[in-house]
Amino acid sequence: MTAPKIVLFCTAVTLALLVPRPSRGAASEWSVNAQSQVRLVTASKVAPRTGEVWLGLQFRLKPGWHVYWKNSGDAGYPPAVTFQPADVLGKPEILWPSPLRFNLPGSLVAFGYENEVVYPVRARLQPAAAATPTSAPQSKPAEPAAGGAPESLKITADLDYLVCQVDCIPFRYTLTLDQPVGDRPESDPEIAPLLQAALDRLPKTTGEVAGVTTEVSLDAGFTNGPDLEVRVRGARADAGKTDLFLETNDALEAGRPRIRVLPDGVVFHVAMKPRETNKPLPARTPIAWTVTNLIANGHTFSLEARRDVAVSTGIAGPPAGNVPQPPASPDRLARLLLSAFLGGALLNLMPSVLALLLAELFVLRAGERGRVREGAAAAASGIVGSAWLVAALAIAAHRAGLPAGWGAQLQEPVLAAFLAVVAAVVALNLWGVVEAPLAPATSSVIAAASGTGRHLLAGLFATPLALAWPVPLLQDPVSYALGRGPATVAAVFAVVGFGLALPYLLLAAVPALVRALPAPGGWLPRVREGLGFLAGTGAFWVLYALSRQVSPEGIAFIELALLAMALLAWLRHREGSGRALRAILAVGLLACAAGALWLADHNRLIPRNAATLPTTQTTATTNTIPGG
Amino acid sequence: MRKTLLSLAILSLAAAPAFAGNAVGDTAPAFKLTALDGKTYSLADLKGKTVVLEWANPNCPVSSRHTREKTMIELSKQHGEVVWLGINSTNPNSGDYMKPAEELAWNQKNGINYAVLSDPTGATGHAYGARTTPHMFIVDKDGKIAYNGAIDDDPPGRKAKAERVSYVGHGLDAEKAGKSPDPATTRPYGCSVKY
Repeated sequence: MTAPKIVLFCTAVTLALLVPRPSRGAASEWSVNAQSQVRLVTASKVAPRTGEVWLGLQFRLKPGWHVYWKNSGDAGYPPAVTFQPADVLGKPEILWPSPLRFNLPGSLVAFGYENEVVYPVRARLQPAAAATPTSAPQSKPAEPAAGGAPESLKITADLDYLVCQVDCIPFRYTLTLDQPVGDRPESDPEIAPLLQAALDRLPKTTGEVAGVTTEVSLDAGFTNGPDLEVRVRGARADAGKTDLFLETNDALEAGRPRIRVLPDGVVFHVAMKPRETNKPLPARTPIAWTVTNLIANGHTFSLEARRDVAVSTGIAGPPAGNVPQPPASPDRLARLLLSAFLGGALLNLMPSVLALLLAELFVLRAGERGRVREGAAAAASGIVGSAWLVAALAIAAHRAGLPAGWGAQLQEPVLAAFLAVVAAVVALNLWGVVEAPLAPATSSVIAAASGTGRHLLAGLFATPLALAWPVPLLQDPVSYALGRGPATVAAVFAVVGFGLALPYLLLAAVPALVRALPAPGGWLPRVREGLGFLAGTGAFWVLYALSRQVSPEGIAFIELALLAMALLAWLRHREGSGRALRAILAVGLLACAAGALWLADHNRLIPRNAATLPTTQTTATTNTIPGG
Repeated sequence: MRKTLLSLAILSLAAAPAFAGNAVGDTAPAFKLTALDGKTYSLADLKGKTVVLEWANPNCPVSSRHTREKTMIELSKQHGEVVWLGINSTNPNSGDYMKPAEELAWNQKNGINYAVLSDPTGATGHAYGARTTPHMFIVDKDGKIAYNGAIDDDPPGRKAKAERVSYVGHGLDAEKAGKSPDPATTRPYGCSVKY
């Protein structure tokens, strides 16, 4: 510690230990230091004999300094206080106003209050001990005690708190209040409104706000570790201000909340990290949360709740019972890989994937008998190769702190728009208006069927089509893999790729199987065109998913861009006899596709960096105190 | 083509390694850092020993209170069987930063007789997810994290020393007896690490 700091610290401690004289009335003397000042207040001038007594710890802080919420965040600690006389006051309960978030160097966060804050304290006077040592015995009536001294209640608060900017300084004070006791408590005109304002700033419970409902769930198979979802309906979010604060949980450590604003409410997702990986997660765990700055009926309020939440572990979770199950046990890994493989295979049944698969199988059927194996193997490697590309993307997203996991792809507008474009291109291809680079167009099915490169490309396209479908079976393996590291991610995605490539792998192993399909005939072009509609559903599904991420206008413009893409493709197909015209139309087509991605990016409902909320909210409290 | 597929299959199945993390049960992240006295310490060299890591910052009043109260100094003396290492992850641009020689002199004057390592880039601090000074870790003999959290149950230091529950003390007793610390995780308290 540097010399000035030592002096400062020692002075603070020494000053703090000098007990200030008890102050008569509704507020103690201010205990003052260079960073903050604090006093003990109570709502009434005359203390009641029994029943509830409201006290408060009132802090004023120099700009930039903060004191803490009940969960102080990554650093600090909340104020600790003990009240005397304990036999009279019982166990007073400190209440916590809605907190703010402070970002600290090193991506650390703190939760607390700046400028001015009153922590309300609720005490219930113990009837049996209503008389304090300094007052008359209880047996006497409410008259001045013998000797003429009025009955009084002397309350002391032994307070420890830490005040931090980036540096932190601990303080310890004894705050004292000496109040007359009477039958008719009289509220203090200065302090009572102050305490009332502090009480108004406390978070509400759902029952207190009409029309507001909340849901909380913990999904252990969603992203890297369990994903906590907190959903509020019936209240509007205040963009940039609405925030989620979690109390400490014994089993799980919370990451930064990601906010998603919905028309009728707000959803938070928080990546939770198990604190102990050598133990199974509990079946249920208490989650206590506060959501701040919600608006309903013209009022801004905070909401808090505490729920015992079931940890849904999905099929890959540790077995029931209390047998410790290390996450990397061969048994669990095998089940996750099986789940990945089955999930991959299942993706073949999703409409857009199925459309491309069937079209590709018909091409293989129509091709040379001897080249089925080669074509199928090419398609399979295309799939596995692109699955690895996706793995690399997932790792990069995970590293960058973006949502990653099977299903997260639909939460990133640009990526989702890309998936919609891919589905649209495949549909246009099957309709015969875009010939490259997929399975050949209707007119030349048989002629071009033999190109191995085309099969490889068809395989490459299958993966982005499949990405549009959030199959639950894949959530566990993918999130598990993201939690373990790049090599595991590559392995799991490869297995998913093998699952997706299963039909081709079977054909590569037994090429004769292709004969099970009907021989090509005049019906084939019509069936292909029909399959185009099946592929088109993929685009519509993605647009639907996108409607939670992109504004309605954005969605409308993206749809127009896709339609323009189709128009240009159709023009190019119908009228594109000249080389130059075809080139121009192709450029236009690509521009429309790029436009769709740009529109998705520029119409997102949630800013890209919504997870980092502004740190400096200048109106920390609404309380104003006349005088000092 | 079949060869390619086969090699893809082998590659994908070969990958199931264990990655380091900061949760209890994870492999403790490796580090190689220079102590204030110039010696180099590597976690890999300490395999087979129980290691205590204490995130320290002499300019943090919470850390320096424990130094004044000799919390860590006495605990490390009681548990001679463990290697006790302080780690200072303060950024050289922070006002709390002390040059190694200056910090070494301060430590010696205040009775800190265990090695304190400099982590000016904060890489080791981030690898462990160290948030506060003091933030404590116990790394067991197998190199796994056995405890992650606070030194004791008394953030403001209000209780008499004997009345505090020393989480690290109990954790080290458990390790010595071949058991696991309980609790294995608590909430660390103190100043934020000045990354």
